[in-house]
Amino acid sequence: MRDQLQADTMPPPEEKRPDAKLARAVTDWITTATRQQVARLPNDGNLVSHDLLFGKPAEGGSAGPARVWRLSPDGYLGFVREVHRGRADGLVQPFTLIPERGIRDFSGLYSIDESSTEILLRNAEIIVAGQTAHSFKDGKLQGKNDTVGEFVKLMDPELAPTPAQLESAVQLQFRLAIGRKASADEVTRFVALYEKCAVSGERTAAIKIMLQAVLLRADAMYREELGSGPANEGRRLLAQQELARSLGLAIMDRRDSVLTQAAEKGELSTKEQIAAQVRRLLSDPKLGQSALLRFFREYFEYHRAADVFKDKPKAFVHEPKTLVSDTDRLVKHILSEDRDVFRQLLTTRLSFVNYSTKENKATRMHEPVPAVTLNPHNNTGQEGLEYLYGVGEFPRQQPTELPPDARIGILMQPSWLVAFSTNFDNDPVRRGRWIRERLLGGTVPDLPIGVVAQVPDAPEQTFRHRLQVTRDAKCWKCHQQMDELGLPFENFDHYGRFRTTEEVLDAAATEQNVDNKGKSLGLVHKEVALVTTGVVERSGDPALDGAVSDPREMIMRIANSERARQVFVRHAFRYFLGRNESLADAATLQAADRAYTERDGSFRELVVSLLTSDSFLFRKVQLAAQE
Amino acid sequence: MTVETTRREMLKLSGYGASAAILSPLLSQLSAHATGASAAQLPKRVVFMVQSNGMNPSHLMPAGMERPKNGKPSNEKLEETSLQDRTLHKAIEALSPFQDRLALLQGLSGKIALSDHSANHGALGCFPANKGPMAQTIDSALSEALPGVFPHVAIGMPANTETLMNYAISASGPGKALPIVCSPALAFNSLFGSVAEGAGRTAFDQKTNLLEFMADDVKRTRNGLAAEEKQKFDQYAEAFESLHARQQELLKKSDSLKQHAPKLGEKFSSTKSSVILEAQFEIAGAALIAGLTNVVTLTSGGGGQQFGKFPEFNIPDLHGIGHGANNGRASSEDCFVELRQFHVKLIAGLAQKLASVKEGDGTMLDNSLIVYLSDSGESHHPNLLEWPVILIGNLGGRLKTSGRYLQFPCYGSPAHKTMANLYCTLLHAAGKPRDKFGVADPGLKDSDQTGPIVELLA
Repeated sequence: MRDQLQADTMPPPEEKRPDAKLARAVTDWITTATRQQVARLPNDGNLVSHDLLFGKPAEGGSAGPARVWRLSPDGYLGFVREVHRGRADGLVQPFTLIPERGIRDFSGLYSIDESSTEILLRNAEIIVAGQTAHSFKDGKLQGKNDTVGEFVKLMDPELAPTPAQLESAVQLQFRLAIGRKASADEVTRFVALYEKCAVSGERTAAIKIMLQAVLLRADAMYREELGSGPANEGRRLLAQQELARSLGLAIMDRRDSVLTQAAEKGELSTKEQIAAQVRRLLSDPKLGQSALLRFFREYFEYHRAADVFKDKPKAFVHEPKTLVSDTDRLVKHILSEDRDVFRQLLTTRLSFVNYSTKENKATRMHEPVPAVTLNPHNNTGQEGLEYLYGVGEFPRQQPTELPPDARIGILMQPSWLVAFSTNFDNDPVRRGRWIRERLLGGTVPDLPIGVVAQVPDAPEQTFRHRLQVTRDAKCWKCHQQMDELGLPFENFDHYGRFRTTEEVLDAAATEQNVDNKGKSLGLVHKEVALVTTGVVERSGDPALDGAVSDPREMIMRIANSERARQVFVRHAFRYFLGRNESLADAATLQAADRAYTERDGSFRELVVSLLTSDSFLFRKVQLAAQE
Repeated sequence: MTVETTRREMLKLSGYGASAAILSPLLSQLSAHATGASAAQLPKRVVFMVQSNGMNPSHLMPAGMERPKNGKPSNEKLEETSLQDRTLHKAIEALSPFQDRLALLQGLSGKIALSDHSANHGALGCFPANKGPMAQTIDSALSEALPGVFPHVAIGMPANTETLMNYAISASGPGKALPIVCSPALAFNSLFGSVAEGAGRTAFDQKTNLLEFMADDVKRTRNGLAAEEKQKFDQYAEAFESLHARQQELLKKSDSLKQHAPKLGEKFSSTKSSVILEAQFEIAGAALIAGLTNVVTLTSGGGGQQFGKFPEFNIPDLHGIGHGANNGRASSEDCFVELRQFHVKLIAGLAQKLASVKEGDGTMLDNSLIVYLSDSGESHHPNLLEWPVILIGNLGGRLKTSGRYLQFPCYGSPAHKTMANLYCTLLHAAGKPRDKFGVADPGLKDSDQTGPIVELLA
């Protein structure tokens, strides 16, 4: 009911409508009454009213529920690096994320099924084979590169391992895989597993089984955030080890040795200590890049450009992978400046263009080179990738400023435009939906079951014209949330090329285009005037609402709005906390927004604020109950 | 409530214990054998045989039929020719005893998976070749429709003898490549390890210990968690329990497994490609007959640049014959024909083995289907506008494969069909219908790439 009211699709048109204020009061009441209920699925986060989160200053600490969070696919790769640094050919990724839009690694969504378990078993076998790889030289046992000396020692089939050696091997594997010491009980049980397997006489194989078992433990495959510090006002701080692992995974997809050491000394006890560690990790250019970049990929979704299959055009190069990597570089560039990040992402005129680098052997410096080059000998007039950006030649200095009045920001990068297109056309509906959800914080119900959404195949009309089908009342109640926000992007074609006219079929000329026997000589096209207008409506911020003449005007207006910035903060919250926000997180969100604005739009400070928030650090006591 | 319903919930609903659920396919299969059940109740089986380096459409042409001179079929309608009284091409003549159970399919396209030398997972998945395992492949999808003690047995011959697993052909879901076990010893131990001797048996027992230990270990770790969080660990513990139950079941069945386990002798550790393949075919046949599985994928090389090599036949370089090397024959085509003959003999041998086992009122072959294709479509450098496929058997009467040569409408014509249509057909026949498979070919705007091929369904 709340969703319907919020989307303005209830009551039906023929009934008397409540005024906006009353409707808001009812939806807010429903949300408040169900405040403990956090929407579980990605993209449902916006169901919590923005006004209730940011409308008035929030106070008081919050605490999330005690939870376990399965490693993400990248987190698993990090785990593999922790336990074995060498090559481990044949390892297979056991974990996947749901094929949803947007931010997907939510702690509530994943467990480990049988087929993943079979992969984990094989991987554990391969990893332990790598950890214990050895040979005998002159009768002496020798480890190979990247093996673990402690383990290799136990690989002599002639020598029975001592209890102390076995214990030390279990302890070391616990440290590598889980980042903590094994308890006495755990050591006893793992050594007992060895003994059971060694009955056959295959001692070295039994040791391998014991080592594999540690790698398969549930607390190795999940990060635990139970909160085992002292209880205070119904909540507990995460344990030091839990904090070290969670912070490492949040920023760099694996543990960080400095964090682990700090945890061992109890130096992750105050918010200041934690903030200092987070700042250290975020300012290290070698670390943190991939996890942070992944947030921007999942937020903007430009990386999906490579998933949209298009015919290879003859007139110019279409190479979506390079378009994505250009945008990746732009995001990294803006992050490295770390000023006014959100607005820059939406409005920058800078771009990387067909960019790659190559080492200059003389200077040993990495210099920019085109990622995709055309063969100068057999090229018959095909344009290079630069042409897509509206740039004549490969710019030697990058990022470069793109031509004025054409494109600004990520949403007008060819990668984003392609990601939000179909095989043959633009996709104004999905573009509009993205803006409604990710910038304005609105919601759009999913396509009703049984509706076949299809734009009529009328090549003599512009796409805007063909999309008129959605103006039908039953479609429009949802499409009004999307279409007018997506249509300004008709300023670009579905390959992401800027345009000022649109090519349509000239039916009359095609009919005339016949030889003297009346046989068709092919289709004739013509250019018609392009309309790039749109309307921002029901945004939740009256200053944003109104007509726009083109995509640039629309995005500039939204980029300057407080609401859109706060919606961006909400998405960052979801990414770093692995769940949707509830009303109880209002103080955390407001603090993060404040940290961002007070530090000149620093994304790093936004992350520091989130990772030192009560929502991140504390767990509710009552939910961490016994069995 | 988590997105993934746990097995425990499912079992609670169904009122069976875990082992009953796992064993039920085997038990029903055994009882079907015993009681002479009706054809519909008998288990259905599908075997995929994927061979590297392309399958020349000419090899499917019976005597008296010819490819168009320009090599490009242009029929806009399905053209059917009966194989009755026709002589099969010498490359596949070993299939002659099964001529009335064959369907030779020409003209299905798979251009979405276009790549050089191999469509990789796209061959069985109908999606782009170079994006890794984007989605579930058809063999894995069928294993869900036709469950067994081992839902899916995937074994094959490696491109080089050091490779133990080939991860480039089969996938259980997005990002989840399935290993094709390329060592007969490993394959045998995992399927028949409970009746192996020496190190094989020890490895089986140690794995059993590990699975039992892990189920217990995960349960201990979950103590103290709140209900919803506990459920996540429950599923993990149940996975170990179920794998452990499978080991136990294999032990219990050791008498019957002993009876069917192949005697591999020297083949067990051979490094010769042809011998490895022979061993894997024997293991596959034994696994099917012992009722261990209903879906098998067999591969000969395949994936990326991995062709395999057959120096024992004086064809040491399969890439070379793709570029005209004739290794002392009249032409490279002779090498292709010889290799095809070797593979087809193995396939015919497997079919013969299934035909020799009584099941219901007929034989196991009556309830089986063998799908033979290449991961590289129609050629060493394919264009995938056509993808030759040989079907043997009718899956218990669900497919029309009674000696038919089918030339499907050409690429680009409105009635054209794709490999995705074929895979939908198999899923319809297996009782788990799907009308979309993989990623649609954007070049086929005018063809219906959804739904089964009705002309193949019985």
